[in-house]
Amino acid sequence: MSKPTLLLIDDEERILRSLRMLFFMSYNVRMTTDPYEAIRILRDEKVHVVISDQRMPVMQGSELLRIARETSPATMRILLTGYSDLNASIASVNEGEVFRYLLKPWVGEDVKSVVAEAAAIAEASFAVQSVFAEHKAPVVETNKPRVLIMDHEEDTVQTVREILGARCEIVWAHNAQLAMEELAKQDVSVVISDLMLGETNVAYILKTIKQLNPQTQCIVVTSFNDTSRLIELINQAQISRYLPKPVSKNILARNLETMLERFHVLQDQPALQQRQAVVQITDHQEKQRSGNFMSLISRLRARVAA
Amino acid sequence: MRQSNTSVKGVYAREILALVNPVEAVSPELAVAEVSGLFLNPAYAKVLSLPVVENGRPLGVISRYRFMDMYLKQYAREIYGKRPIRDFINDKPLIVELDQPLAEAALYVAENMQFPLTEDFIITRHGKYLGVGFVMDLLKAMEARMRANTEELNHAYSRLKSSQLALVQSEKMASLGQMVAGVAHEINTPLGYVQNNVAIGQELFTQVRDVVASYEALVDNLLNGQASDDQIAEQMQQISEMRAGFDAQEMLGEMQGLMVDSLYGINQISELVMNLKNFSRMDAAATDLANVNDCIESALNIGRNVLKNKVEVVKELGELPKITCSPSQLNQVFLNLFTNAAQAMEGSGYLHIKTWHAEEALHIEIADNGKGISPENLARIFDPFFTTKPVGEGTGLGLAISQEIIVQHGGEIKVESRIGEGTHFHIRLPVVAVARHEPMAMAA
Repeated sequence: MSKPTLLLIDDEERILRSLRMLFFMSYNVRMTTDPYEAIRILRDEKVHVVISDQRMPVMQGSELLRIARETSPATMRILLTGYSDLNASIASVNEGEVFRYLLKPWVGEDVKSVVAEAAAIAEASFAVQSVFAEHKAPVVETNKPRVLIMDHEEDTVQTVREILGARCEIVWAHNAQLAMEELAKQDVSVVISDLMLGETNVAYILKTIKQLNPQTQCIVVTSFNDTSRLIELINQAQISRYLPKPVSKNILARNLETMLERFHVLQDQPALQQRQAVVQITDHQEKQRSGNFMSLISRLRARVAA
Repeated sequence: MRQSNTSVKGVYAREILALVNPVEAVSPELAVAEVSGLFLNPAYAKVLSLPVVENGRPLGVISRYRFMDMYLKQYAREIYGKRPIRDFINDKPLIVELDQPLAEAALYVAENMQFPLTEDFIITRHGKYLGVGFVMDLLKAMEARMRANTEELNHAYSRLKSSQLALVQSEKMASLGQMVAGVAHEINTPLGYVQNNVAIGQELFTQVRDVVASYEALVDNLLNGQASDDQIAEQMQQISEMRAGFDAQEMLGEMQGLMVDSLYGINQISELVMNLKNFSRMDAAATDLANVNDCIESALNIGRNVLKNKVEVVKELGELPKITCSPSQLNQVFLNLFTNAAQAMEGSGYLHIKTWHAEEALHIEIADNGKGISPENLARIFDPFFTTKPVGEGTGLGLAISQEIIVQHGGEIKVESRIGEGTHFHIRLPVVAVARHEPMAMAA
């Protein structure tokens, strides 16, 4: 089998040369300091994984990765940056839809394992005809999709009701306990969640969702601004969107449609589910809470099955 | 409203009340001789004049001075003695109402009193006679009040100064924080490849050591002739397998390149650290003989993170004499102007920095082609707390402090701007340091 292709983009060529040494044994490494050259390579060649810098003179990494999404949807996208600013991280979720957000300086072994995982997932995606095709024929609904809103205020719920009407079953959880119960009861297509429910930080719930059901799509709608927390949510929860509050009805509606559609694509093509694989929770307390949540669910589901 | 008015008047009334001397009023019909006798009363020793009151209303005053005047005439006592005092009074006495503010009363008395001082003033309540006030008492009360006010003012002034200091400090911390974050991020790039290269080198070193060990074992066996042909064949097989999986020559060649890169990266990191040190001048005296061009370079280095990829910097730095200044403060001024310029640009633009020396002064011109400043904002840009940036992004003190620093250096800063064309700052600094009234407390 031929080596998978890895494309590296950074405006500092020393970064490129250094990364190349990590990968040239196992990958066909392509590299450039020019984002337009990168786009050409993505168009003309079968690229498994792309690693891009964020801050570059002609184009931001998140913008390049957005173009990569359209040009070569099966390619897995990774951002490697020394700048952890909030806008860049938000753009990397919403536009770049990155698989991982990595920071410079990096640990060689970690980047290697991320790339290996991503290359395998990309290979599986190439076998599937349409990766996250966003303009497909409307899906025939068998069951009404379930949309869970985790927010202690009713505003977002109201907006979602206006958008979806009776098309979906809309469930509102205004505290963490209710949210966990609803998630345990039945699978959810899309979760729209704030990061804080009252006093509780619910990141651990979002980080557990992909383990419950990898198809579930998470939209975070929040006024909470913390770059390092957001980077964690990218890597450990694979949230699909991060929208700052207050969110306009139009923006929420557009993203909600995309995510409902994506849920169905993933249901039809389980091979694609791995594209949103997550890494282990790093925070000790969150890990424990997530573990408790998982065991609560298995107990509940065992009882239902019995 | 009315309530508070009354209570305010109450406060004033207390001030005037303290000045009241309850001197018994004289009836206007009392004879001149009798009135003059009253002045001999030891209780009235301090009194300059006696009030003349009819039905509670003050008609005027009669003073000792007036009697002296009268009695200078021959037979005056005989001629005037029996006449009512009414005919001799000053019917335009100084009258102060009880609820008048002290300052107002003092002003009125000061403006209307006669020299030499021959009369006291009358204090009334709602127009009715209450007592006599001594001008000297009034002036003393006023002086005490002024002293209290001055203390209060001094206190307020020192409070204001310390809060200004705190603000200056917070602005400095905000810009320093932004700067350090920028530089820290910038260090991550060279740190990224240097660290990775060293890790790769370490791994390569282990592999090369294994290869060399295998070669050495083979050579030893060949030389001492004790190993069997089979053993040697096996060793050679092992070595050729090793060579197939790992091209030592190629890897070492690559590694050499990475070493060159690493040294470059380490230089970059030290340069960034040096820039930070130069900029803050933590280890230098607050005031020093320095070249302003160096301050500009230092600020450009630190601001690189903000300017890079966005702003084309055109420098025209003329030959400048060194001046006595606070380099860290000038650095701060320049960084502030450069950052503002970068932020004023939508997309990309240029920053033109020009320095020259003329007529015993240094001139620094900083021009950008950003979006410009509207005339109404331009008039306020040096005002403390004026900012056009969103809440939380600017303290609104950057330019106010910059101006303060330049003024402290005996110089001036001027600005011109045109919407859509850009903004142009001109700084003039005297070559010979002008005595500074107060060193700013923000020297790094």
